[in-house]
Amino acid sequence: MGSNIANPPTHSRRVEAWVWAILNPVIDGLRREVGLLSKGNLSWRSYSRNFESIRPIREYIEATQQPNYEDFLADPLNVTFEEAFKKHDEQVIKVESCAARFFDGLMQTEPFRTQVAKSLEEYEAKLSSDDPQYPKLESFRGEIPKMVAEYLINRTEVLPQHYMTYKFWEHYRSQFGKFLKDEFEPYRERTSFQTLAVAVKTLHDDSSKLLADLINHRQMLCSTYDIPAAPVPLDRGNPIDALFS
Amino acid sequence: MPSSPEPIRRRELLILDTGPIWELVLFHAVDQFGFERLRRELQFIKDQQSYGRCGQFIGSFRRKTTSASVVAELGYQIRRPKLGGQEKLWNRVYEEFQNMGMDEEVIRLVEMSRLLVVRMGPVDVSLLELARRHADELPVVLTVDSALYRECMNAGLCVSLLQELTAIWEPLPK
Repeated sequence: MGSNIANPPTHSRRVEAWVWAILNPVIDGLRREVGLLSKGNLSWRSYSRNFESIRPIREYIEATQQPNYEDFLADPLNVTFEEAFKKHDEQVIKVESCAARFFDGLMQTEPFRTQVAKSLEEYEAKLSSDDPQYPKLESFRGEIPKMVAEYLINRTEVLPQHYMTYKFWEHYRSQFGKFLKDEFEPYRERTSFQTLAVAVKTLHDDSSKLLADLINHRQMLCSTYDIPAAPVPLDRGNPIDALFS
Repeated sequence: MPSSPEPIRRRELLILDTGPIWELVLFHAVDQFGFERLRRELQFIKDQQSYGRCGQFIGSFRRKTTSASVVAELGYQIRRPKLGGQEKLWNRVYEEFQNMGMDEEVIRLVEMSRLLVVRMGPVDVSLLELARRHADELPVVLTVDSALYRECMNAGLCVSLLQELTAIWEPLPK
């Protein structure tokens, strides 16, 4: 038994489970993550104070597959990944807390609050008309500063047209965005902004490397143990396949 | 201030069925967050252009509303075991509702026509009742369901099919 754990046989179901239930969803999750980080979209949400789409590795895996995840980490064949996953997860938490600190800083900064209020006043006075594309934002009033801060953290450029704040953001994005160039110094948030930017860059680089390592590892497992990289759909037209479906 | 010389077409109330909300939720999850495995669920909003056309149409209404029955139906969609990511999808539904300023109303079962409920189910009937309740606001029902579409037409209500809004318009060959 001991030798089986150290060296699974060809076509091993265990290795198949690692590839299909662990590596594939983690690779998908990291691809999304790297894509979002490259665009600067952190998918950070103020209500949860975490990222919508950038999660610790364990959360990329289905709950029913957690035993396979633990088996994957415990096997010497995959020895390097426990540390790499831990590092990734710590960095995700770090970026989340940096984003939260930057958000809290903006919320407490008088110049930011004043500018949001001024923009809203201007919008209500000049832009709201009979055109429903320029809806009144009274019911959002308390939420607008949080929304603007979220848009800035997530580098939101254009909102979907059916969002109530679509026209507001279309008109005022550049005014808030110009502070990006000054690293939010006018809001006295340069330090927290820089800390967030560095943490995002580190996460992007670490996740990119981890993604490449996992793809290589999957390739190695598939070729060594002669298993497909994903389940192959049965051909129901084939009478032999039909027997097993 | 919009400077279009044309008079602004006044649209007051849009009543959304489950299908269009579900398509908006899914497209955002696929396009913004890269949940590629959800792409196969999309039927009508398959690219930025069709998403834009749909968003523009919805955004042209001053108010948007739906029924509590539609929210329950979204719950059935999200609970399907093969879909996965229930929490993320519910988060998306919450965000769609908040961001489009969606209202929600309860139509009690006993207020609905028994014959219609038997024939169409309570979700479709709740939308018909909503449209009747708000008749003075000239509501438009947005759906993907051709049976509901026909029923609205027969009842003299304004109705739009998402698939017609999102279809790519091509001129007829000469």
